[in-house]
Amino acid sequence: MPAILAEGLAKHFSPDIKAVDGIALEVPEGQIFGFLGANGSGKTTTVRMLTTLLRPTAGRAEVVGLDVTRHAGEVRSRIGVALQEAGLDDIQTGRELLALSARLYRVAPSEIAGRVAQLLRIVDLEDAADRRLKTYSGGMQRRLDLAAALVHRPSVVFLDEPTTGLDPISRDSIWRYVAELNRSEGVTFFLTTQYLEEADRLCHDVAIMDYGRIVAQGSPEELKASIGTDVVSLRIEGGADELTRAEQAVRRFEGIEDVRAVDDAVICYVREGSSAIAKLVLLLDEAALRAKEVTLARPTLDDVFLKKTGHHLEADEAGAGADPAGRARGRRP
Amino acid sequence: MRHAIGDTYFLMIRALRETVRQPALEIGNVFIPIFFFAVTVGAIGSSAARAFGVDNYTGFQMPIAVLQGVAGAAGVAGIGTVTDIERGYFDKLLLTPAARISLAMGRLAADGVRICLLSAFILVVGIVFGSGLESGPLGAVVLVAMSGLFGLAYSGIGMALALKTGSAQAAQLGFLIFFPLLFLSPAFAPKEFFAPWLEFLATINPVTYIVEGMRSLVLEGWDAAALGKAFASIVAMGAFTMTLVLLGLRSRTA
Repeated sequence: MPAILAEGLAKHFSPDIKAVDGIALEVPEGQIFGFLGANGSGKTTTVRMLTTLLRPTAGRAEVVGLDVTRHAGEVRSRIGVALQEAGLDDIQTGRELLALSARLYRVAPSEIAGRVAQLLRIVDLEDAADRRLKTYSGGMQRRLDLAAALVHRPSVVFLDEPTTGLDPISRDSIWRYVAELNRSEGVTFFLTTQYLEEADRLCHDVAIMDYGRIVAQGSPEELKASIGTDVVSLRIEGGADELTRAEQAVRRFEGIEDVRAVDDAVICYVREGSSAIAKLVLLLDEAALRAKEVTLARPTLDDVFLKKTGHHLEADEAGAGADPAGRARGRRP
Repeated sequence: MRHAIGDTYFLMIRALRETVRQPALEIGNVFIPIFFFAVTVGAIGSSAARAFGVDNYTGFQMPIAVLQGVAGAAGVAGIGTVTDIERGYFDKLLLTPAARISLAMGRLAADGVRICLLSAFILVVGIVFGSGLESGPLGAVVLVAMSGLFGLAYSGIGMALALKTGSAQAAQLGFLIFFPLLFLSPAFAPKEFFAPWLEFLATINPVTYIVEGMRSLVLEGWDAAALGKAFASIVAMGAFTMTLVLLGLRSRTA
């Protein structure tokens, strides 16, 4: 039985706003599954449907073998969720918040104090346990939120962008807790993220979501291997015209598998990167174009993302962040 | 059902903890009714016997001070819920298996407790000012309980608006609704002295019966008919506002 299953899952806020447009997912038990996508790609809407906060427009989803619409109450008691905003009650102390969560999750009264103390220790918040949450830093709030999601020992935990906005040290702490809990207790994690490094480092499998649809799915290694090539990036001097001409020029290279023009660069996917560089530069030279910078790299998840969606993930954030709903309004031609 | 009661209790304790940790928020609810009480009695008290045949105008006004305090506390009942919605904590609560109704009832129950304490304080201040209390200590308990129940019923308006809209401005409308209801009741003079149109409006206004029920405890002792009408008005209001709360809650849940 998969920990999470979705078939044709969709959420349409209106005929024009298709936040999630019929996705299929299967996450085995004990896996850390990463859901990659830019702001507004439909990640959070998917999480809200899988965690019973939103009713799907179409399709179905099961979590721990239970239909999220028909058995919402049971699903809630079996999962833990840390949403995008920590969403904590800053009047309470950390210990009080965890104890209240434990009570609402029906943890046996005799176990609550011990479980709360254990979780505070796991997330390194013992010293701050009796301080009000308004005195917590963002990183401390995220760690406490993660602890609150674990208070009833759920078998599946959803983390919606658990590290967004955190400093590198806090981010690393969250990664460590997730990896440790997955390894030691077999907890299945479903995490959405915009950080490709996070997905690459933590996740057994990832899905890339764009405009409400899953455009690629597999292990990070499989996805990178699916590109199967080196990535040569040529930053072109000049403007849009030069970039278009450069894209046309490098397409004449026999060993080229794919080309993308992004910002001021032409990204070339080639089999033998080191030997291809000289030929690519020569082709530019023949077209009276100059590369101001040339880099060669093995494919990363960012390259996978770029190839599958046509845009970088992190470079996309500023624009997309200004109008998250805008991305869901319709498919790119 | 057992879970719903337990969840309501835990969420009530959490809401009361907020009050204890932010006592400044209650100052207005205490000060404003006592201020208006003192000013009204000072301005009209000496001529009330001649004008309306009310000898004990301090006692006549004391229930109004209590109700103003109740309205102040209950009228902003939805604000805590709006804050929870805005900071995402309400979603956290929705993600737990807690009974859905308890997410609203926890805060409403806390409001009921706050309002009982506030009413008891204003009642004591009124007695110190010389209002008297003909029904004695048991009457004080009934008056405070009546305040708490009215506050609970009245809080439902702000709670329903908060759940439906998630807006602080909308949630505060509950407070504004109270003043027309209070001024359309015999708050300052017996309704026999009202113009016919105002007397009619006062007759169909449920707050009128709550005022008269409380006033009977202060001025007359035990008047079963007045108390019966008061409790019936509270129950009717409560049934209406709790229906709105359930509708608001339904709009917030998947």
